[in-house]
Amino acid sequence: MRYPRKGKGRGLRRVRSNLARVAALSVIGLVVLARSAAAQGDATKGEYLFRAAGCYACHTRPVSGARPLAGGRAFETPFGTFYSPNITPDPDHGIGRWGLADFARALRLGEAPDGSHYFPAFPFTSYSGMRDRDLADLWAYLKGVDPFPEPNREHELNFPFGFRFLAGLWKWLFFEPGSFEPDPARDVLWNRGAYLTRHLSHCGECHTPRNLLGALQDDRYLAGTLKGPDGKKVPNITPHSGDGIGDWSESDITFFLQLGVLPDGDVAGGAMEDVIREGTGHLTDQDRKAIAVYLKSLPEHPGP
Amino acid sequence: MKKLSAVLAVVGALGLSTQALAVDEPENVIKYRQAVMKAIGGHMASIAGVVKGEVSYTDHVAIHANGINALSKAVTAVFPEGTDNGSHKTAALPKIWEDWAGFEKAAQALDTASANLASVAASGDKQKIAAAFGDVGKACGGCHKPYRVKK
Repeated sequence: MRYPRKGKGRGLRRVRSNLARVAALSVIGLVVLARSAAAQGDATKGEYLFRAAGCYACHTRPVSGARPLAGGRAFETPFGTFYSPNITPDPDHGIGRWGLADFARALRLGEAPDGSHYFPAFPFTSYSGMRDRDLADLWAYLKGVDPFPEPNREHELNFPFGFRFLAGLWKWLFFEPGSFEPDPARDVLWNRGAYLTRHLSHCGECHTPRNLLGALQDDRYLAGTLKGPDGKKVPNITPHSGDGIGDWSESDITFFLQLGVLPDGDVAGGAMEDVIREGTGHLTDQDRKAIAVYLKSLPEHPGP
Repeated sequence: MKKLSAVLAVVGALGLSTQALAVDEPENVIKYRQAVMKAIGGHMASIAGVVKGEVSYTDHVAIHANGINALSKAVTAVFPEGTDNGSHKTAALPKIWEDWAGFEKAAQALDTASANLASVAASGDKQKIAAAFGDVGKACGGCHKPYRVKK
């Protein structure tokens, strides 16, 4: 069995040492982050990151008139239905009582302020690699959006997945908090694309198939899946010719991310339409190009 | 001349009523409909090549926009009742007929957006063309999202 994230098998000892790192990160790292200069985030930059990180699409119901970021979007998975929570700054139903440290803990470690574990439907596995500066800027933006008192809806999970401690066990098995390490052998554009694709824009959370326990199959990175978050097919976006987007030019990709129009003249559907309209459509041409360059460089896979 | 107009009007009305009776086989209507959609898609892909800057046929944008505009007026007619995905191989959801007014409105949006693109195209302003083209794409999505099975 291959473990996801780093794409290499790991022994128990390594897992335990990771667990120690998690503990160290949660106690020291977050306090340091919260007290550092980065704590004064830039909300304008944060708004851009908010677009790149695709927060809107998952935390807003896909119906006209839905309150932005008030949560409630359903994700039908083999484990049951997850409902995204309210992330407006409402003090009772949203994240109005959170500080930067709570926010960082959620995105880096997948932990709620009370220490309970988030299910990996929330892509902390990708966000974990977000830069300190970006975390602080994103937080500065999010805490300034309009609050809305929409109560959160409980997940409807199949037995036994509803037990939160299992999410902790899952993390112990599959999750390694990490930071983005640029590849010095690649140029700035490629590295920017890697950071966006793998972490901030978390493309793999929908486009990479998951194993029986819901962990991303890193050896099939971005190879698409028949059971995406809407319970529907998510396309292969590796450079495989035929199954993937190997026949797309770099400008086909950037154009798609900008306007949602496919090379055959059709338009993006499903969640991707929201991702483009609220997210990638607002990015700079340079960032869209970075994603395209990175995608074109990946190993090709057939399927799904 | 008046008599000719009257005859033409009667012939036209008969033609329309024959169409309304829709004796065409659902499979053939679906096949025709898909060809119409592909034709719209062909115009979209053609404009995309110009907007991306791959080809310099900026003066063709209006031709394609007018093509889409003409076809947009055919959209509702190619969705007669009984051609949904319940018993046929099509991506057309039954919601089209459950919410016919909404569907007509969504089709109308393509008419408006493509007409706008055709007029903006005359300016030759790449930025404006790209924005208007984006709106046409949104109009496509405005129908596909609620009324089509996700690909």
